[in-house]
Amino acid sequence: MLKVPEHQVAGHIASDGKLGPLVDDQGRFFKPLQGDSRGEHEAKFYESFTSNKMVPDHIHRYFPVYHGTQLVEASDGSGKLLHLVLDDVVSGYSNPSVMDVKIGSRTWYPDVSEGYFKKCIKKDRETTTVSLGFRVSGFKIFDHQESSFWRAEKKLVLGYNADGARLALRKFVSSNSPADSNSTPPNCAFASEVYGGPNGILVQLLELKEWFETQTLYHFNSCSILMTYENESILMKGGDDDVQAARAQVKLVDFAHVLDGSGVIDHNFLGGLCSFIKFIKDILQSVDKRDETETSPLENGN
Amino acid sequence: MQLKVPEHQVAGHIAKDGKPGPLVDDKGRFFKPLQGDSRGENEVKFYESFSTNTEVPDHIRRFFPVYHGTQAVEGSDGAAMIVLENLLADYSKPSVMDVKMGSRTWYPDASEEYVQKCLKKDTGTTTVSAGFRISGFEVYDHKESSFWKPERKLLRGLKVDGARLTLRKFVSSNSLSDMGSKPDSAFVSSVYGGSNGVLTQLLELKTWFENQTLYHFNSCSILMVYENESILKGNDDDARPQVKLVDFAHVLDGNGVIDHNFLGGLCSFINFLRDILQSPDESAES
Repeated sequence: MLKVPEHQVAGHIASDGKLGPLVDDQGRFFKPLQGDSRGEHEAKFYESFTSNKMVPDHIHRYFPVYHGTQLVEASDGSGKLLHLVLDDVVSGYSNPSVMDVKIGSRTWYPDVSEGYFKKCIKKDRETTTVSLGFRVSGFKIFDHQESSFWRAEKKLVLGYNADGARLALRKFVSSNSPADSNSTPPNCAFASEVYGGPNGILVQLLELKEWFETQTLYHFNSCSILMTYENESILMKGGDDDVQAARAQVKLVDFAHVLDGSGVIDHNFLGGLCSFIKFIKDILQSVDKRDETETSPLENGN
Repeated sequence: MQLKVPEHQVAGHIAKDGKPGPLVDDKGRFFKPLQGDSRGENEVKFYESFSTNTEVPDHIRRFFPVYHGTQAVEGSDGAAMIVLENLLADYSKPSVMDVKMGSRTWYPDASEEYVQKCLKKDTGTTTVSAGFRISGFEVYDHKESSFWKPERKLLRGLKVDGARLTLRKFVSSNSLSDMGSKPDSAFVSSVYGGSNGVLTQLLELKTWFENQTLYHFNSCSILMVYENESILKGNDDDARPQVKLVDFAHVLDGNGVIDHNFLGGLCSFINFLRDILQSPDESAES
């Protein structure tokens, strides 16, 4: 039985009459191959990537596992349509917070149509893409106060400037109510567990960065990094394995515009990735500093 | 003070039709005319800020020309000039290359006209595709015993393979003006490689760029220089390769964000040089 994914934060969403991805109960994600060549192109990428011996083993974990294509009943009722079959990257989570960040200071690339170029560059300039080298496409977080999910409005997200993006990245790892927009600053309660630590987001991003400094296989135009972590275990906090419990995960997604590297590194993605890494590092540093000043009075008192 | 036209300028404005160009003196100083429409002012502002900025680590200063303030110079209608260290003063036969860094030369808040002008140039060159473009160079041809400087038109038409070939030619000794001949990469290890080579210096810069949020170096170039005189005398190890950042007319405040545009281009440039170092033989492309 196929149903609409619960945790999708960006891209087309399947709903009444709309075409979008579906999931089954076996942890598989079905992404419809759309009319224009984008779907085919994405399938071609997955086929190439899956069998590419030049991709180091430790890098495969950052990509969804591909299971070929399959004819499936489309979500908009239009009949059977070819779908990409992937591992659902959030299927192992019961209450995941998820954020989609489009990486790169431009989403267009050489040789695209004039129309597509104009559309992309307009959006790139209106969002943080040009200024920061990445933009937040969407996110949902578990509101620990309300015990429910809070989803950021798309219009809000696309209107972010640098401070907005910074705030969103802090909200993403906070336990105070995200709906409390500007009054209470986000407390970054889970920053160390999600962003930091030996298996956290930062470590994973740094591993990706190292690969991007030399890989000339693919140019990941318009791709996103999807960050996910588990709230369930944080809810039941108190154990010794808080760091593992959050199971923060980085995945690259959306490969409709990937091109051959042709001997050049993906400097567009890499520049944006480095900028994103700096934002995460800054949040971790500010949390460390805050924790230091909070504990030192105690030490001084002794 | 005797001022003359610099011998080895490879890119940027030159003296033409009564409009002033840069000059050098015999005391190791370079005089750059302040460009019109606030660009000159902006460059001065940058140099003033940079030379006193305590957040710039000491080991990074070596990559920037030393600033000596501004001065009105005789013969240039009393127009003010920026006084800088002449980067080539200690070289007798320098090969020089100017590489503009970044996959875009425009920046947010630039005028629409400027953005369009830059975009056109960026998409027509290796700026968009490779994250950098070769603006100019002059290289000493050891076979011809003379300097060779390509036409600007040639450089603008370079694609990725042409850029790669040019970077090989820059460290070669043979028939450089013949675009069909295969470069011998004779000096690749002494110039690009080694513990004081271009690659090592670029990697140091890269580390700084991964964290510095002080400045965004829009449209800046990296200048690579090395000495041919010592090579001619058989001392390949004395090439004294040097990397400098130049041209700060469009530098803006970083505002808490790293210069991801420059950094991406720098990483791409580093990879090109690494490839050349690893396979100086052109046919062994990975």
